[in-house]
This record gives sequence, structure tokens and C-alpha cells, in this order.
Amino acid sequence: MIPVLGLLAGIALGLVLEPTIPQGLQPYLPIAIVAAMDALFGAFRAYLDGNFNDRVFVVSFISNVLIAAAIVWVGDQIGVGSQLSTGVVVVLGIRIFTNVAAIRRVLFHA
Amino acid sequence: MSPGPRVARVERSPDGPDRLPSTSAGSTPRALDASMDLLNQIIQHPVDPDYAVAAARGGGRARLRWPLALVALVIGAMFAVSAVETTRAAPAAETERTELISRVQRAEAQQDELRARVTSLSAEIAKLRAAAAGTSDEAELLERQINTLDPMVGNVAVTGPGITVTVDDAVPGTLDVPSTDQRNQVLDIDLQAMVNGLWLAGAEAVAVNGHRLSSLTAIRGAGDAITVDFRSLARPYRVQALGDPKTLQAHYVESAGGLWWNELAQNRGMRYEISSEEQITLPADPGLVLRHARKAES
Repeated sequence: MIPVLGLLAGIALGLVLEPTIPQGLQPYLPIAIVAAMDALFGAFRAYLDGNFNDRVFVVSFISNVLIAAAIVWVGDQIGVGSQLSTGVVVVLGIRIFTNVAAIRRVLFHA
Repeated sequence: MSPGPRVARVERSPDGPDRLPSTSAGSTPRALDASMDLLNQIIQHPVDPDYAVAAARGGGRARLRWPLALVALVIGAMFAVSAVETTRAAPAAETERTELISRVQRAEAQQDELRARVTSLSAEIAKLRAAAAGTSDEAELLERQINTLDPMVGNVAVTGPGITVTVDDAVPGTLDVPSTDQRNQVLDIDLQAMVNGLWLAGAEAVAVNGHRLSSLTAIRGAGDAITVDFRSLARPYRVQALGDPKTLQAHYVESAGGLWWNELAQNRGMRYEISSEEQITLPADPGLVLRHARKAES
């Protein structure tokens, strides 16, 4: 319940306040979002499996986002930023799909 | 533990944390593909293994409610901010585009103006030169030479009989060709072939869409447009050539350029029309300046 409320509140906050992201951080936001989605779906699956844990979720979310952003940052420094962000999106995308498929199986038995 | 057949997959141990195959030479045999199982790993361990660890440890569930809420808040805010940024950036990009387009149009208008000025100044130079040279025999000879050579090199406007060739991209739908096929569009090489054919057929002056061709003119493709002297052309392309009205068209049709275009018109469905004109006037090429070449002293 808390996470859903938090998500909605966050979306509302973002829409209302419209904060401007510093120019330097803008390339990393999409990647951070993909990493956050990965953490979210992983957490939901763990929740359905019955072993969700707040601490693991918080830590995995933060580390996911930081690592994804760091990979892209390093890529930017050595000139392959867009390729590396594609790589991050592919890897996290596969994980998201796998998790969503598992969630779907649990929820709909299909 | 009986030594069963080695399997490539990493088996979950029932009690312990689901660790990835350890590289340390432990008691468990390394999986065969342990060093290259990135995809296996992604697909088989999509959930953070620490969830299993924490669950096995039996950690309390209700701890860290506030950090959880905060993280959820941050994620939601990230979605919203990113979406807002993207929608906000779209009109900005559009404005930038229109701004660039108008800047290009302004520059083109300015170029046209400057070219017109060059033409009028050239006429003035010719008049002043004639006045300055006086009426001596030598001056008249020079003047005659200049008058002969100027139309040839494209330095002055010329008029006379000739032909007009109008060509355009194939109309989509004709000859069952897809409209997006680039081969059905007029390319720079097509115009080059046509102009070469016209020269070969005895044309004395040629202009493409009103841009007079000289020995310094380049016809080339730049992106989607064909440029003549770095001015991009708008479709349809009108190539005008001055020459002998009796032979120019016949010779052109038989030249390599004429055959090339015949084929394009028949097989690609491109528009291709030739018309004879009793009188056409071609403008001067205002860009005719030599900056580095000098007359060699013999």
C-alpha cells in the first residue's frame, strides 16, 4: 500500500512542481527510470512470492539506479555512452520482461 | 551427494542463498558455462537474490517503512519529471527547427539579392570599361573579343533559340513503383547526364532552373536536394539550352544523356518533356570569379 501511495504522490509532485533537472543529469534520467522499473517489478514479484523485504528493495533500487547511471557516465567519458545505455536498457529490459512474465503467471495463471 | 551428470544450469540449493556460481574453487563443481552465462543469469535470476536471503533469514517485514515510501516517491517523481521534460522539450525543438528554416530562407534571400547586385555591377563594369578603353583600334579589338567570350563563359545573359527539358520525380502509383523508392527520384547524376548530353548535342549555353552553368559550376546532390552552384533546386527541374534549333533536340535525344533519360522515363515513370523554344533568355552566372588562377605568361 505504501509503495503505491508513494508512487502516486511522487507522480503528482513531479507533475505539479515541474522541477528542472540539471543539464548534466538529463542523460541519466531515462536510464535511472529503467533501472527503477527493474527494481519495481523485481520487488513486486518478490512480494507475490511472499519474500518481499523493504530493506532489500531500497538497497537494490538505489544501487541499480546508481550503477546504471555510472555505467552510462563512464560510457559518456569514453565516447560510447549511447551504446552502453542501449546495453543497460537491453539487459534490464530482459529482466523486466522475465519478471513481468512471472508476475503474469502468478496473477492470471496464464 | 552422488556425482550426477554435470548440467550447465546452476541448480538452486534448497536452503542456502541463491548465489551465482562462485569462482572460488570450492567443493561445488563449477558450472560449465559459469564464465559466460550472462543471459542465463539474467533470465534465471531476475529477482534480486537477496530477497531470498532475507526471507531465509526471516527478517522482520515492517522495518524501513519510511525509506520505502521515500523510494516509491522518488520513482514516481522520476517518471513524472521525465515525462514533463520530454513534452516540454518537444515544442522547443519545433521552435528551433522553424527558427533554423527561417534563417536559411533569410540567407537565401540575401544571396539572391547579392547575386542580382553582382549582375548589375558587372553590367556597369562592362559599360565603364568600354568608356575607359576609348575608341582606338586596339580597344575595339579587345571589346570584340570580350563580347565574343563573355557569352561563352557565362559571364553575361544570352538569348536565342533552344530547347527546354522539364523533368520531375516519378509520380507515386505509376508503373507500380513505391513512391519512397529513391531510385524513382531525379538524382544529381541524372541532371549531370542530361547536361552533358546537351553540351554534346551542341548547346551553347545551359541553365538549370534559371541557374546558368559555367565551367565552374558543380551539379551535385546534398541530402535530399540537388544543388547547382550550391543553390538547392526545387522540383520540377527545368533545363534550358541554347543551340541550333534544327539539330539540338535531335542530337540530344541520341546522346548518352538522352538515352539515359529515355530509359528513366520509360522504366521509372519519371516526368520527361522536351519542348522547342523560339527564344529563351538565360541569365549570367554571377559567381564567375577567379580568385587563384592567373593568366599564364607565355
